[in-house]
Amino acid sequence: MKKYISLFLFMFVASATISMAQSDNISPARKQAIDSLALEKVKDLSKYISIIGSKETQFSEANRVMDRAEELFAPDAEMGVSSLNRKEIAYYKVRRYFERLMALNYDRVNITWYDIHYISDLERQPDGRYVGVITVYQRFEGTSLESGLNYRDTTKKDITIYVEKKQTQIAGRTIEFWDVMLGDIRVTETSA
Amino acid sequence: MRKLAVIIILFITSIELAPGQGLYSPGSPQDDGRFAASTKQVNQFFRRFNGEESADGTKRYYEDDSNYRNRELRGKFISILFDNETSGIQNNLKTEFMKDVLSEPLPQYLAFHRGEWFAEVATTFIYKGKRENVTLFMKLQPEGLGYEWVVDRVSFAPFKNLFKKPQGDQKSFLHPMSHEIGFMNLRKAFQDNKLPEAYTPKEYEPDYLTLFLYEVKNGNLKFDNISDVKFHFFQINDWYFELNQFNRPGFNTGWLISNLIKLKPGDKEVVQKFIYDQN
Repeated sequence: MKKYISLFLFMFVASATISMAQSDNISPARKQAIDSLALEKVKDLSKYISIIGSKETQFSEANRVMDRAEELFAPDAEMGVSSLNRKEIAYYKVRRYFERLMALNYDRVNITWYDIHYISDLERQPDGRYVGVITVYQRFEGTSLESGLNYRDTTKKDITIYVEKKQTQIAGRTIEFWDVMLGDIRVTETSA
Repeated sequence: MRKLAVIIILFITSIELAPGQGLYSPGSPQDDGRFAASTKQVNQFFRRFNGEESADGTKRYYEDDSNYRNRELRGKFISILFDNETSGIQNNLKTEFMKDVLSEPLPQYLAFHRGEWFAEVATTFIYKGKRENVTLFMKLQPEGLGYEWVVDRVSFAPFKNLFKKPQGDQKSFLHPMSHEIGFMNLRKAFQDNKLPEAYTPKEYEPDYLTLFLYEVKNGNLKFDNISDVKFHFFQINDWYFELNQFNRPGFNTGWLISNLIKLKPGDKEVVQKFIYDQN
């Protein structure tokens, strides 16, 4: 827990320092800082997904990690999953998606992430918040020891990020900072 | 200050203690170039088309960067933004398009907020107990402090089949002296008449979007799923192109131009009519 609090505080302070007393427009330099913050959240998510999916993770630990993972998301965020054979989107609430991942019937699961990502520009939405999309690629390998079957796929994950300028009071001073929340995620199986 | 140092140390420690399974941890599979080459988002299509990212995709170029919208870079990018496997766009057409877009005196760029592009979303809805295809045409509009996508038009076969206005001799009408009889003949027009649209002006066009919303609001149309998304661009003078997503092995993947048409005067309206009426 301490680990995550420390991470949060660090990001909080760093982003507050970067963005104090700046206007609502996002300059390239600030965009870069927000990108880094957003990517950290995606990295956290990727780490949590790997832990939840791993068969070595105990049930109680997986539940704890699911709680942490859920905290990354804005309310009502959904996962929309489709495969090469099934173009239709299957919609899951984030928690349900994690629970399904945990319950997968493999003896060994290995989830890794390709060394590539793409971060879109940020667009402002009607309520003033900014929205962007980060694309990452995940490799999943599941092994069933009894049948000796291996399942492997690579999925593209397009992750919505919401970026919002917030304010807080520290020692009587108003500090502005940029906060990032994850939103809907589109999961598409790739041909790779 | 000391607190901050402690926090930073804790942060670094937390990274080192984390299991090596996250993004870019040791053992991450390496992209062999295919994902890097893929045009991963429509946003990246815009960037590449305009020459606003580095060749390896790792850097976003802004106006202050020396390579921002560099003509040579753009040329290389645009040449890989065509679907080369299934669409069969003629090479000479691509060359002509690139010549126009990369013109030295008057280069043309895509702009996210400039309009003249829209999305076509193939969806399914449940209508009268059956799964039916509904095509939604979406456009971007300014709203509040930013922008939003809105449903601009709807194409839905059951609606379209509902309105078949008869023409010429086949068309029933209210005779020109109906006013003198207090329009009592309206009874014939609307009672037991399957084609009341016969009594509408020449310019009458059914508003399918209103009908669609009416049916959704009454619970008669229920959203089911999305099967496909594509985009239509009319931003480049005298050109139309279609953008589709290609999910397949190889390097020619992602959001790519799948149809390219050189427009002569009047063609734009014809192409738009075709897009809107094709279903």
